[in-house]
Amino acid sequence: MEAKYDFEKKFREQVLKCSRCGFCQAVCPVYGATLRPALNARGKMLLLKEVMDGTIELNDELIETLFQCTTCASCFENCPSGVEVPEIIKQVRKDMVNIGTCHPAFKGMNEVLEKHTNIYAEDEPEDFERERNKKAECVFFIGCVGAYREDESTLATLDLLDRLKVDYTLIDEVCCSGVLEDVGYEINTRLAETNIERILATGAKTVITGCPYCSRTFNEKAPYAPLKEKGVTVMHISQFLKGFDFGVRTDKRVTYHDPCDLGRHCGIYDAPRNTIRKIASDFVEMPDNRENALCCGAGGGVRGAYAKNSIAMARRRLEQAEAVGADVVLTECNSCVHNLSNAKLRKQKFKIYNTSEFINELMEENE
Amino acid sequence: MEMHGYNMPEDLYYEENHFWVKEEGDLLVMGMDDFAQTMAGEIVYVQLPDDGKKLKLGKKFAKIESGKWLGKVFAPVNGELATVNEELETNPGLINDDCYGKGWMYKIKPDDKGEMENLIHGEEAIEKWLVADIEKYAEE
Repeated sequence: MEAKYDFEKKFREQVLKCSRCGFCQAVCPVYGATLRPALNARGKMLLLKEVMDGTIELNDELIETLFQCTTCASCFENCPSGVEVPEIIKQVRKDMVNIGTCHPAFKGMNEVLEKHTNIYAEDEPEDFERERNKKAECVFFIGCVGAYREDESTLATLDLLDRLKVDYTLIDEVCCSGVLEDVGYEINTRLAETNIERILATGAKTVITGCPYCSRTFNEKAPYAPLKEKGVTVMHISQFLKGFDFGVRTDKRVTYHDPCDLGRHCGIYDAPRNTIRKIASDFVEMPDNRENALCCGAGGGVRGAYAKNSIAMARRRLEQAEAVGADVVLTECNSCVHNLSNAKLRKQKFKIYNTSEFINELMEENE
Repeated sequence: MEMHGYNMPEDLYYEENHFWVKEEGDLLVMGMDDFAQTMAGEIVYVQLPDDGKKLKLGKKFAKIESGKWLGKVFAPVNGELATVNEELETNPGLINDDCYGKGWMYKIKPDDKGEMENLIHGEEAIEKWLVADIEKYAEE
């Protein structure tokens, strides 16, 4: 029987490789928050097998299951059969969009990015009190969440770059649109071309991103290939900061939350920790860390489409921060900061920061 | 009272971004009005700052979020935060269910209660302001 959908053409053997062992259930953040077996990777693979067998249809009834995945890759990391679940999920979402069935939040996001410059459809960006589009060695690319949801953290990061005398400029950036690839659509080439043009116009040879997902998009997605072809290197702020000494330390107990986009998806675990060890005498790991870090619940569009469950996932992560007695939770992703901050209960007295923001605060206090 | 499809009690005072205020003993109680909660849709997060936070008239002191919408909460008077509705921490949807009752957000200890008079109040003023905002958001 000829494959009906692209996910089957590309991933049929992968789907069939799932041995239904359930290792993924133990680590799936969506299952952890909902306790619904259909929502973990095993449940999703079973459903897709049924679709391939023609016993169920790929239709609106599967939206809640197949669109409720943070693409955190924790299942893939722990799968004895090596099933590439996030890639399968992203492909099946595209198949669903192709047949006209999609979560309305993601359909809306795609439409928003056809008309606006950011996923929130906000028309008045923060100016961050800095000149934009000037000639500089580096471009600092903020990202939508950093610009419109965690602007205070972004301002602190920019202050830190100033303190470190980094020659950088902001640009009139638009959404990298990488998230569209996760939720059934394609990168918006108009937005990609706008970013590329504005980055190249600055003459910068380095792009520092505040968002690990933007960094992945620039480095991995074909529409952004002209950056590499023109000799521009793109790195996340955690990579850029690894060579610096800051001359400040804190006695507070600090822990670190690995963002999925930096950790499991890029394998960057040590650079952020090395930076933290430079500034914190009392660094402790949460029980689930590095490759096994528990997802904050914000990725894969889940924060936008299933906000309650997304925040419930973040609460599970913060229970771990509480258990290790952290005063400070550091991370390297504005989406993580945003979701974890939204989830923090008043009785939890720790503070949540991007590492760059926390370093800036220490340096400010030291002046 | 029903006003152009929204429940807008005429005995409340309103901050221009659609938060209501009323007296309760020495304190002021504050919440989101029906127009705002309807426009926002399902509220998923309300920032609940620590008690004692200083509030400066017109300055942002908290955030509120629904799906893809982020709202800022501005101080309706000078004063300090006396307490917050901790129920909203785990059930922010109370704002949608009962915005003038169980969905109240903050209690404020005002420096001067007289500052309430600068808020929108009285049936005629409330209606004029509401109609203008209905038109404004219809255009957007």
